[in-house]
Amino acid sequence: MIQVEALTKRYGSTTAVDGLSFTAQSGMVTGFLGPNGAGKSTTMRLILGLERATAGSATIDGQRYADLTAPLHAVGAMLDARSVHPGRTAFRHLLALARTHGIPRSRVHEVIGMTGLESVAGKRVKGFSLGMGQRLGIAGALLGDPGTLILDEPVNGLDPDGVMWVRGLVRDLAAQGRTVFLSSHLMHELALCADRVVIIGRGRLLADASMQDIIDQSERAGLIRVRTTEPDLLAQALSQLGAEVIPQENGVLHVRRASLEQVGAVAGRVQATVLELAAEVGSLEEAYLQLTADSVQYRAGHPAAPVSSSAEGSR
Amino acid sequence: MIENVAAARPSIDEHPDMTQAGRRVAPASARGGPTFGRVLAAERIKLTSVSSTGWIAAGTVVAAVTLAFGLSLFVRPGSATSGISLAVSGYLLAQLGMLVLGVLVGAGEFSTGMSATTFAAVPRRLPVLGAQVLLTALVALLTASVSLLASILVTSCARGSSGLALNVTDPETVRVAVGFVLFLTGLAVLGVGVGALLRQPGAALMAAVGLLLVADQLLAANPGYVADTVRAVLPAGGARMFADDAGLAALAAGPGPNFGAWGGGLVLAAWMVAALVAAGYRLRWRDVT
Amino acid sequence: MIMSSAPTGTTVAESVGAYSAPTLRRIVAAEWTKLLGLRSPIVIGLATVVGAGLLTYLSANASSGDPGFDPTAGLLDGMSVAFIGPLVLGVLVGTGEFSTGAFRSTFAAVPRRLPVLAAQAIVTAGFVFLMAVLAAGTSVLGILPAAASRNITPDLFGDGTPQGLLGAVSFHVAMGLLGVAIGALLRRPVPALVTAIVLMLILPLVAVLAADLTTDPLAASRSGTVSAQTAAVNTVVTFTPIGAGSTLMAPGPSAEGGPDLGSWGALLVLAAWVALPLVPAAFRLRRRDLV
Repeated sequence: MIQVEALTKRYGSTTAVDGLSFTAQSGMVTGFLGPNGAGKSTTMRLILGLERATAGSATIDGQRYADLTAPLHAVGAMLDARSVHPGRTAFRHLLALARTHGIPRSRVHEVIGMTGLESVAGKRVKGFSLGMGQRLGIAGALLGDPGTLILDEPVNGLDPDGVMWVRGLVRDLAAQGRTVFLSSHLMHELALCADRVVIIGRGRLLADASMQDIIDQSERAGLIRVRTTEPDLLAQALSQLGAEVIPQENGVLHVRRASLEQVGAVAGRVQATVLELAAEVGSLEEAYLQLTADSVQYRAGHPAAPVSSSAEGSR
Repeated sequence: MIENVAAARPSIDEHPDMTQAGRRVAPASARGGPTFGRVLAAERIKLTSVSSTGWIAAGTVVAAVTLAFGLSLFVRPGSATSGISLAVSGYLLAQLGMLVLGVLVGAGEFSTGMSATTFAAVPRRLPVLGAQVLLTALVALLTASVSLLASILVTSCARGSSGLALNVTDPETVRVAVGFVLFLTGLAVLGVGVGALLRQPGAALMAAVGLLLVADQLLAANPGYVADTVRAVLPAGGARMFADDAGLAALAAGPGPNFGAWGGGLVLAAWMVAALVAAGYRLRWRDVT
Repeated sequence: MIMSSAPTGTTVAESVGAYSAPTLRRIVAAEWTKLLGLRSPIVIGLATVVGAGLLTYLSANASSGDPGFDPTAGLLDGMSVAFIGPLVLGVLVGTGEFSTGAFRSTFAAVPRRLPVLAAQAIVTAGFVFLMAVLAAGTSVLGILPAAASRNITPDLFGDGTPQGLLGAVSFHVAMGLLGVAIGALLRRPVPALVTAIVLMLILPLVAVLAADLTTDPLAASRSGTVSAQTAAVNTVVTFTPIGAGSTLMAPGPSAEGGPDLGSWGALLVLAAWVALPLVPAAFRLRRRDLV
């Protein structure tokens, strides 16, 4: 279990993490979301004791990271795939890590097998692709068979196979009773593997709730979409019943505060032919974008106007 | 309905940009591509936008001047040195600064991974090296000149009290001063060559230092015909450019070959050229990532 | 703000005891694994060992024609220059974590941090010790041809030669440690190498130049004594790392007018030089954020 209380980190005049409090429970996967620069990586570094918090605390199973007797057995962390010396082979990197805790060589071979690195274990890390580097980072995190896993964007650069593998891995680990805390920008993927979500923006907590609660917050949750030949007629009938109707173009109506069955029944009653009737499902992405709309720090500008052709005849 | 979609898109042969040969033939400047002038401008921006350049140049000046001043405190009447030689004695530290400057410029592209971007923009590659050499030489020239002038100023007190003359119109003084600046500039360019060849700053620095300092010191400890000859043809032989006339006479009288001041300069130039040719070969014909 | 309560989870039984904690012995084993996994230590080791032998051989050959040739006199010529190898190796070890970003995984495994620095020093000292012993061996081999050409059997056990060899090995180890200390403090290879080069290669040249300036060539030869200024310069030189190294390798006053530290004094001087960057490096490692 990871417990973060009033965690604050200031660099001079900038506040990267501002009074953050949340708990990542064991036995579930907790997703960690936020715009770029929100302070996710900083929070993880603070939990691991790589940086000292200005205020507040972060504990793993009630202990500060620095007080853990065998850190690798308690916490497996992958912060940055580049945290490896490029001149070493993957195997040696893991072996050295294992030696600090007296973890046997066999375990190193085991995690290499688990992460699919057998073919490149003897190669120097310098030549690794992004995906291989990520797998190596995950292998390092798994080395000590830890009770808590902290992963910063573990699926970054992985092929679809790898993404599915990580999904299965973290769900299995959580099912074994471990605490899994991972950050990601792949919303659809995270929605499939996380049980709870912590969303931060500009260093502050924006949401700490179960996945379903977050999704239900998105605009499209609870929205019924109906396309009919008589939109005005149906709209009137539904409004009279107290539903909220937002007409769209092409004969589409967006209806709130009514169930799918009710809309269908009303349409039948007023004899409006239904061409399409569906309940929109909210998505994590939508909920997240709405929640963090004010906290985005790096927003792209409007797409540039097309480059005008020069006299020399560019395209 | 579906068939008309394919006909609507024009074939590539009908595109106005395609000549009869089927390739673009407009010159680089007309197309907006990398001419040498543009490459030079780009390298200038890169060099001046990195704080380490300024720190190294400033550090070299400070080190050289401080050393010259420190050594000037040891001068007594009757010391076997000339006024200008005292002023250039800061070269011991300045030479290291110049090597570091050159090595960081030469190896910087590769150690930072910038090479992929740079040589995608300039696929002919060699102009980048050429621009780096020119700009480094310029920075080195400025740094060396400033060091010299400041050293002269700072040692004037000691020179006065020990009766060492520094006559600006004296041909020996002029030669030593010019030789000092040329030597340091040459070392910086040598650094660029070694850096671009080895592509790692640490290794390049050690190679350059080994060549310049270690080999020379080793041989100096065991004077003899062979040792002195080898010393003369190592890059440190370029130091003859700013040795005073008494020093040159002593070298001429010794067992090694008598290159004289400008001969020493040619030796250094030969090393520079060799390093740059090797670096250029690797750059042009081998991978850059 | 959206909050919803979470069901309390179950914790994994902690079956891990203190036996798997990162002890110093384990961390040393890890650092040793790290060192041997890289190419550069092997290359540097080979270069040092071969270089020391080669230089000694060349030096002995050059002076073998002299009338009063004593083969053991030049025994340490190679090692007195080959210290650069251990120095560079130490810098590589000291800067390795931070220059590559590997420090994140290393200090996640060892949050107490200082044991890693200690282990790096221990491992470097051990590796350099082996290197230096081998280099001493090749140096001995290097003088054999010249000695044979003059039909002299070199006496390796008399007249200060064993102390000199021991001193040379100690000097190399000290250089390795100095490299680690400078590297750990500055954390980037180029500044660390520049500092090491200035300290070990350029400072001696400056001292020589200063000594040259103070000596009035006529006066010294006349009176046979050493001027006060030269003596002052030589005293300072004795306390530089290279001066201490000379004392270790050739027991006796280091140069005219300088004090005679003896081997233990020289070791103390070297230890002080190693401590100079090492202590701030340790402070910095312990107290500051690792970024």
